[in-house]
Amino acid sequence: MLKVVDLNVAYGSIAAVRGVSFDIAQGEIVAVIGPNGAGKSSLLLAIAGLIKPRSGSIEFAGKNIASKQAEILVSEGVSLVPEGRHIFGSLTVAENLALGATVRRDWPGIASDIERVLAMFPVLKERYRQRANKLSGGEQQMLAIGRAMLARPRLLLLDEPSLGLAPLVVNQVYQAILDLRQSGVTVLVVEQNVSRALAAADRTHVLSFGAIAMSGKSTELAGTAAFDAAYFGVSREAGRA
Amino acid sequence: MIFAQNAIDAVSLGAVYALAALGIGLIFSVMRLINFAHGELIMAGGFTLYGLVAQPLLVVILAVLIVTAVLALGMERIAFRPLRKANPATLLISSFAVSYLVQHIVLMIFGSRAMGVPFLPELGTSVEFLGLRVPRLQIVTIITTLVLMAGLVAFFRFSRIGLQMRAAAEDFTMARAVGVRANRVIAFAFAISGILASMVSFYLVAQTGSVSYKMGVNMVLIAFVSSVIGGMGSVAGAALGGFLVGIISVSLQAYLPADLRPYRDAFVFMIFVLFLFWRPDGLLMSRADRDRV
Amino acid sequence: MSDPVFRPLHTAAILIGILLAVVLVATQVAPAMQRTVIEALVKLIVVVGLYIFVGNSGVFSFGHVAFMAIGGYMSAILTLSPERKHTLLALPAALEALQLPWPVAVPIVIVAVGLIALLIGWPLCRLRGIALPMATFALLVITYVIASNWQQVTGGRQALVGLPRFTGLWVAFGGAVIAIVVAALYAMTRHCLMLRCSRESEVAAAATGIDLERERLIAFVLSAMVAALGGVLFSHFIGTITANSFYLDLTFVTLTMLVAGGMRSLTGACLGVAVIAFVAEVFRAIERGVSLGDVTIAAPPGLQEIALAVILLAILILRPEGLLGSYEIGLPRRHAADRRVAAKQEG
Repeated sequence: MLKVVDLNVAYGSIAAVRGVSFDIAQGEIVAVIGPNGAGKSSLLLAIAGLIKPRSGSIEFAGKNIASKQAEILVSEGVSLVPEGRHIFGSLTVAENLALGATVRRDWPGIASDIERVLAMFPVLKERYRQRANKLSGGEQQMLAIGRAMLARPRLLLLDEPSLGLAPLVVNQVYQAILDLRQSGVTVLVVEQNVSRALAAADRTHVLSFGAIAMSGKSTELAGTAAFDAAYFGVSREAGRA
Repeated sequence: MIFAQNAIDAVSLGAVYALAALGIGLIFSVMRLINFAHGELIMAGGFTLYGLVAQPLLVVILAVLIVTAVLALGMERIAFRPLRKANPATLLISSFAVSYLVQHIVLMIFGSRAMGVPFLPELGTSVEFLGLRVPRLQIVTIITTLVLMAGLVAFFRFSRIGLQMRAAAEDFTMARAVGVRANRVIAFAFAISGILASMVSFYLVAQTGSVSYKMGVNMVLIAFVSSVIGGMGSVAGAALGGFLVGIISVSLQAYLPADLRPYRDAFVFMIFVLFLFWRPDGLLMSRADRDRV
Repeated sequence: MSDPVFRPLHTAAILIGILLAVVLVATQVAPAMQRTVIEALVKLIVVVGLYIFVGNSGVFSFGHVAFMAIGGYMSAILTLSPERKHTLLALPAALEALQLPWPVAVPIVIVAVGLIALLIGWPLCRLRGIALPMATFALLVITYVIASNWQQVTGGRQALVGLPRFTGLWVAFGGAVIAIVVAALYAMTRHCLMLRCSRESEVAAAATGIDLERERLIAFVLSAMVAALGGVLFSHFIGTITANSFYLDLTFVTLTMLVAGGMRSLTGACLGVAVIAFVAEVFRAIERGVSLGDVTIAAPPGLQEIALAVILLAILILRPEGLLGSYEIGLPRRHAADRRVAAKQEG
C-alpha cells in the first residue's frame, strides 16, 4: 500500500532522513522506532505531505504522492496524527471531530462515523460540547485519533501516540490502534516507546541518524544485541533495510 | 448630556474602528500578515463610490463590495501567496509595499487633490432622541456594525468554512493536515476583509464627503492599534479593541485642553506604546503568537 | 591588519574608496546630476544608520525617519537666523537668538539625538517579539503628529524655509564616510557580535547570558544618531524642512533600499541605495520624457514610486535576502582557513 524508496528529507543543510526505503502492505501495522532526533517525525511529515522531500519517491496505492500537499493527501486517504496531538484547543470536541471530516461530503456517513468514534472513546461523548483544551492528555490523544479516523483514512500515520501519557491511557490508545486495524486501516506508528511499538506492530524498522539501521518482524527484534546497537546507534554505519 | 453625546460618538466611532480592526485581525489570524494595504482597500472603495456616485444606491453598494473584494483577492494572489512561508517582518514590509503601490497607482490616475463625493448626504441630519441630537449616520453605522458582527460570528460558528477558518487561525499546519484547503481559507479571509473595508469606506465617505488617495492611511493605523490592543484574530478581540480606541479617541478629543487636541493621535499612539508594555499579546490573548520555547 | 576581526574596516575602506570615485566623477558633471548624487549620499547615510540596528539585530525598525526629523528640526532651529525664527516660530528668547555655524551645530544635534534615543530606547528595547517594531512604528507616528502640530517649534504644517544649504558634494561624502566608519567600527565590537547572535533566536541568546536589551539599545542609539545625521544633511540640502517629508513614504523608500541590497550586510545597504537611486533616476528621466523630433513621449508622474514598490515586491518574493545576502565586500582572503570560515558564514 505504501512504498517509500530512497527518501531524503533535509532542512537546509541538515539531513533528517537519509536514503530510507521500506514498504507497508495493506492492513499491516508497521512501527518505526528510534531515539530522539533520529528523523522519525520528519519521515512522517514527508509522507503526510507537510514537508517536501529533497529526493526519493513515496508511492501510495500505486500513486506517486511525494510532491503532493497535505490537504490533498487527506482526500487520498492518508491521515496524520502528529506528535503532541495538536487538537484545536479553542474548538469543542464536536468541532474537532467535524474538522476531521473536512474532505468528506457524505453527511449520513460522517454522522455514523462520529457515533462510532464516540462509542470507541466514551469519554469524548461525555465531553462532546466542551472545549478541547479542557481535556487531559490522554483524552486529547483519543480525540486526535478520532479526528483522524473521521477522514476514513486508508493509511493512518501516528507520531509518538504514547508520548506523555500514563501507561493505562497508553493501553487504551494502543487498543484503539488494534481496533483500527480490524476495520481495515493500515497503520504506520512512530515511537520512542520501544516495547509498546514492538508489541503492537507486525514489523518494525529501527531508525538511527536518519537511516534505517535494522528491520524485521517485531517478535524477532526484541532483546537482541544487534537491536540495541542499532537503536542506540553504537555503530554509525547504518545497515540496509 | 454632553457625556451621553460623547458616549454615542465613542460607540459609533468605535464601531467603525472595530470593523477596520477586524479586517486586519482576520488576515493576521490565518496568515500572520499585518496587512497595511487594508487602508488601500478602504480607499479603493471610496474611489469606486466617487466613480459611481450618480448610480442607484444598491448598484453603488454592490459595486464597492465587489471592487474591494476583488482587490483584496488580487493582493493575496499576486503579492502575498508567494510569500506565505516568509517571516512576519518580510510579510509586514510586503504589505507596506502593496500599500505604497496601490496608493501611487491611484495617485497617478486621479491626482493628489481630495475630491468631493456626495454620498448619502441625507444621513448628515440628526434625530432627536431622549434630549440628544444623534446624527443619522452614527445610528446607521452602529446598527450596521452590530448586524455585520453578528453575521460574522454566526458565520464562524455555524458554517463549514467558518469552522475551517477558526481551525486555521489556531493551528494552520494542523488544519492542513486534516484537509483544510489553505488557499481557500485564506482567500475567504481576504474576501471578507474586503467587505469589511468597504463598510469602513461607506462610513468615511459619508462622514467626510470626500476621497483622496491617502484616505486609508489614518484608518489603517488606528485599525492596527485597535487589533493589537484587542488581540488579533478574534471577532471579539477586534470589537473590543476598536471600541476601546474609539472611546479613548473621543474622550481625548472631548477632554483634552484645546491646545493639546491636535495631538490627539499622538496620545492614542502613546497609550498604545504603554499598552505594549502591559499586555503585548493583546487583551484577549489569542493563542500562542509568541515564540513557544 | 589581516586579522579577520578587521574585516569590517576593509569593507569600509573599499566602500569609501568607491564612493570617493563616484564623488570625484560627480564633480565634473552637470549640477542636476550632482544633486542626484548628493541626495543618494544622504539617503545612504540614513540607510546605513538603519542597517546598524536592523541588520545586526534582525528587528525591523520604523523609527529611523523619526530621528531624521528630530535631527533636522533641531539643526534648523540652531542654524536659522533669529529674524526668520521670529517670523516663523515662537521659541523662547534664548533659542531664538541662538545661531550657530553648522560645524558646531551638527555635532551638538547628533549628541542630543543620541541622548533622546537613549531615553526612548531604554524602555522600548525591553519589548520582545513583534512589539518592538510596532513600538518604533508608534514612534514614527507620534513624531509626525507632534512635528505637524507644534507650531511654535516646528512651524507645524508650514515648511521652515531658509535653512543654510551647506550640504554640498563633499559634505555629503563626509557624512557618508562617517556613517560607514561608525557601522564598521561597531561591527568590530563584542557588542555587535552578541547582537548578531540574538538575531536568530531571542531565547537562545538570553540563555547564553547575552544582555539583549543592552545590546539592542546600543545599536538603537548608534542607528538613531547616524539617521539623525542623514536628516540634518537632508534638510540642509533642500533648504527647507517640513514634517510631511519624514513620514511613511520616506520610511518605505529607505526600508526598500535596505532590503533590496541585503539587510544583513553593510555592502548590501550601500548597494541597495545605489540600485534604487539609479532606478529612481531612470524613471525620473522617463517621466521627463524622451523627445523624438517634435514629440515628447513621457510617462505620467508617479511611475517612479510604482516601479519602486514593484521592485521591492519582486525582491521579497524572489530573493528575500536581498541582492547580496550577508556578503560583505573585502580584501581577498589570505588564508584558506579564512575562506572556509567565510563560506560557511555567508552560506
